[in-house]
Amino acid sequence: MEIANITINGQPVSAQVGSTILQAARQAGIDIPTLCDHPALIPIGACRICLVEVTGQRTLITACTFPITEGMVVQTESPQVVMARKLILDLLFSERNHFCPFCEASGNCELQNLGYRYGVDHWLYSTFTKAFPIDATHKHLFMEHNRCILCGRCERACGEIVANHTLGLRNRGNASMIHCDASLPWGESTCISCGTCLQVCPTGAISDKRSAFMGRDVQTESTKTTCNRCSIGCGMEVVTRAGNVLRIKSDWDAEVNGGRLCEYGRFDPLYDPRDRITSPLLRRKGRLEPVSWDEALQSVADRVGAAQGQEIGVLTSSNSTNEALYLLNKLFCQELGAKNVGLLNSVAPKLFDQPRGSLADIVAGDVIMVVGTDPVKDQPVASFFVKRSVDKGARLIVVDDGENGLAPFAYMNLRIADIGRAIEIAHRAAQPIVLYGVGASEAAVKSLKALQGKARFVTLEPGVNTFAAVTFGFNNGFKPSAAKVLYASLGEQDWSGGDMLKAVDKGAFVVVQASFASPLTEKADVVLPTAIWSERAGSLTNTEGRVQKVNKAVEPRGGAKPDWEILSLLAEKLGRKLGASLDEIAALAVQEIKYKENQR
Amino acid sequence: MKLEDVDLLKEFTSEQIAKLDEIISKHRGKPGGLIPVLEEAQVSLEYLPIGIQKRIAKGLNLPLSRVYGVVTFYSFFTMTPRGKHTVRVCLGTACYVRGGKAIAEKLEKEFGIKEGETTPDRMFTLETVRCLGACGLGPVVIIDEDVHGRIKPGKVREILSQYN
Repeated sequence: MEIANITINGQPVSAQVGSTILQAARQAGIDIPTLCDHPALIPIGACRICLVEVTGQRTLITACTFPITEGMVVQTESPQVVMARKLILDLLFSERNHFCPFCEASGNCELQNLGYRYGVDHWLYSTFTKAFPIDATHKHLFMEHNRCILCGRCERACGEIVANHTLGLRNRGNASMIHCDASLPWGESTCISCGTCLQVCPTGAISDKRSAFMGRDVQTESTKTTCNRCSIGCGMEVVTRAGNVLRIKSDWDAEVNGGRLCEYGRFDPLYDPRDRITSPLLRRKGRLEPVSWDEALQSVADRVGAAQGQEIGVLTSSNSTNEALYLLNKLFCQELGAKNVGLLNSVAPKLFDQPRGSLADIVAGDVIMVVGTDPVKDQPVASFFVKRSVDKGARLIVVDDGENGLAPFAYMNLRIADIGRAIEIAHRAAQPIVLYGVGASEAAVKSLKALQGKARFVTLEPGVNTFAAVTFGFNNGFKPSAAKVLYASLGEQDWSGGDMLKAVDKGAFVVVQASFASPLTEKADVVLPTAIWSERAGSLTNTEGRVQKVNKAVEPRGGAKPDWEILSLLAEKLGRKLGASLDEIAALAVQEIKYKENQR
Repeated sequence: MKLEDVDLLKEFTSEQIAKLDEIISKHRGKPGGLIPVLEEAQVSLEYLPIGIQKRIAKGLNLPLSRVYGVVTFYSFFTMTPRGKHTVRVCLGTACYVRGGKAIAEKLEKEFGIKEGETTPDRMFTLETVRCLGACGLGPVVIIDEDVHGRIKPGKVREILSQYN
């Protein structure tokens, strides 16, 4: 790594050759204002607000695009620079409606902040001569073109980060505006509602319908946590105000997703229409009645404690935390001898014993095979990586029998039976990547093994914490008829019971640990209300086997408790000591996951 | 036949579409191929409706939003059909003071269309321009390549009759 030494505002700064003035300045803690630049995007030098003075350069230059060279002398706030920035701000403020008091972004606006910083206290030029319509056709977002400064961040995020290319810039001069596809209303466009544009917009041009005008940054709190909607485990921030969740932001620093989130992760959790269960319920004389936790758990403990190991059935959702899965396994399987355990979703076939490939590998591939899995539907963030790779020239081969969301981007679509052709192509590639999921047939898995050592394999597990659930043995064929006492840890999962529940013995004692009322909770003998994603702490293991922390953003609704806590209390009632605090249980759970991973 | 082809065939002949595909394949995979494709397509098809843009986007493996962005950026490209003849009225300062505005109004009335539009029979497209560099001849009207100088509203119909 070659280092260049430069001087910024008289301060010596060393940075890697090839980095821009802006990057070097940021490393040294020197602030250069930006609008069109965003750390996650390729700089284009369009807004000119990052202009700096470099000795020997004929004009002011954009810090975001100009690479540093040895001995460079930079002034970031010289009178000439400040004058130029003020002019740019005057022009930006005059172009459209930047009248802050009625803007959603007021207080969090990058343009407004710069206005204050450079003392733009009046309009130098006449303001917004052209009015644009507002596009509110989108389900979650609205676009206020009059607040737009045409920095192009949203358009670039849509292309560079998500590789969806819905947003674009149209027309020119004062008629320029952001458009979707070919001037379609946003709600009818190819937009996949990932919300990345919302997160990069520096002004109030793109706002979230649900949380608009509900709190500025200084009035809200933010909790970093891990998304629990699929097995990718994206890092995200939950923005709350006075104990209510306002919105979800992606975490730019998260290793797995690096600022990406999808509709399932960003918006869907905020619009859950299902009814919460807020108190433990116990069936008395045929009716479910609210009771205290103590009473509910005691009745569960009585029945579970009296049952033989082979009479106990345990079903769990992969939405449970590592800690809950650990306790379920420890309490029911190891302490009480239950063997009839099951998982509410299917599991991807196991290819190799070695640790799984990471999602970051996807971008390194020149041939990407997607076998028996549809990330567009199930793990959208993984599909962003695939589509980005395709944009950069990778060839995508979709091997799937059903409809596949990635099929339109593929240069070859094959049926699973024809996987041999894809494997031939992968053999000739420099770095083939194989993404596979539950749809990969036995024969397909067998033929994929031919690529061992050549390709990198990325598993896309269905469900959420499937990796940990499998580690703790929740993958056996569950036999509903054998269960006299059924403990179903549903969490947030929508599961009506289906054929499985019909096969459960009529006289069986059914305990349901769930967040939402469902047909299953209505049939239960005891219902234990469970905290949802925003209300629980613990950890989740993603499809790569990466253990990530989940933090509590708000207090559980009513009497709901986190899944692991319910099991820990139940263990206590049964006279088993399985760890008292979350930290203790988490340490044990993670230790076991790591241990079993090494064993595999 | 694909649905999108059926839609295109309502406006274009199958020869024109084959020509378009040829243009696309000539520039496929080359960096910066979009503008040459649009230019050649505009020349041979006369205008670039969304259906054509979609075909170009698909053929060049580019997002439709980008193709549309380029088409709307350059005034050379048009998304609506153009007339057989293009009538450009100068509204530059010299022509304006010598009655260019009246000529433009007369033409609008004559054609029954507004500036930037095309007559329903697709004979004439009316445009206004800012100075053609022939101020001495003002007011000036250019029809296709022919310059008509010092015209009066009364002479408009006579001049137009030369074009059909």
